[in-house]
Amino acid sequence: MSAFRLRHLATTLVLSGGLALGCASAEPTGQRVGTFKQIEGEVWLVRDGVRAPVRSGDPVTEAGRIQTGPGGAASVILKDGTVLTAGPETVMDLSRFQYDSTTQEGNFLLDLLQGSVRVVTGLLAKVNPERFKVQTPTSVVGVRGTDFIVEANPPIEPLHVYLRKHYKDHSRLRR
Amino acid sequence: MTPLSAWLFRPFPVALLALLTACAPASKVVLLPQEGGRPSAVTVTMGQQVNELNRPYQTVAVSPRGSVESGLTTAAEVAEDYPALLRLQPAAGQTFTLHFQTGTAELTPESRALLPTVIETARSRAGGEIIVVGHTDRQGPADTNDRLSLQRANAIRDLLIEQGFQGDRIEPVGRGEREPLVPTDDEVSEPRNRRADIIVR
Repeated sequence: MSAFRLRHLATTLVLSGGLALGCASAEPTGQRVGTFKQIEGEVWLVRDGVRAPVRSGDPVTEAGRIQTGPGGAASVILKDGTVLTAGPETVMDLSRFQYDSTTQEGNFLLDLLQGSVRVVTGLLAKVNPERFKVQTPTSVVGVRGTDFIVEANPPIEPLHVYLRKHYKDHSRLRR
Repeated sequence: MTPLSAWLFRPFPVALLALLTACAPASKVVLLPQEGGRPSAVTVTMGQQVNELNRPYQTVAVSPRGSVESGLTTAAEVAEDYPALLRLQPAAGQTFTLHFQTGTAELTPESRALLPTVIETARSRAGGEIIVVGHTDRQGPADTNDRLSLQRANAIRDLLIEQGFQGDRIEPVGRGEREPLVPTDDEVSEPRNRRADIIVR
């Protein structure tokens, strides 16, 4: 019974990215705003409801969801030099990334739904620290040129339910 | 499996999972030391509470019930709790400066000779990229210099593609006259500021 439950939990995790999707951004998407660097284990990029495994060198796009499996981890460098490293069993949305490389101005919002991420801020946070935010369902982190870790753990409920709930919350926040 | 052993062993993973989940904070933030020891800080808003972390290894966590707790961790604990986050951190970027022949958009022979090294460095990195940042001096209008600096960056991008590096991993950037190597008054011609910085990361 317990073995079954554990296996079931793992399956839910693997499927959840597809279930909780549908994040349509107002901005044009599909443009490379960053690049995957080191990849370990299972790592996916979810965009427009499609989940695809990623490899080193693949592009990261705005409004994309980065998801890692139990043994997965990935590092990403965004255009402004911000480094994001996602730990195992992580689900995070790069909800907003706008960056003008000439003026170094822009906007950054990362939503960590579960798991852990290390953030080393780049040029954008230097120029517009007030427009650089990392959110979890229970906290908002603002920065001043920094290196930090954020962790988020879902309550005990099926992950796809949790993610769907916070997807709704999040879309309400953005309006 | 006998009913006895089933009774003894099977509930354990569930109990352990419940225990682990119960202990885990709903969210937690850890401030790490900034490279070069420069001061840094984050503000963490949890519910109504705003906490500032301004010393390395300070932490703040919110429990599933909503209570907020500040604390202090250590480098060793961070390494134990988040091994992947430290292991996968990409190495710092490597910078090269290229110079142009006076009054032209042509690289000096020395700078041109650096390009194969630049490409080799980028290829040795996982997902390696080349950022080409063009700069101008302060002669002429600022927006013209923005365009000129981007043209310089694009010219180098073309050279790198010609030498076999893939174009989608080259990012040309024009910074105009914003970052002079040698500070000057406006409208001063200064060859040392007409340059391109290359960052491989």
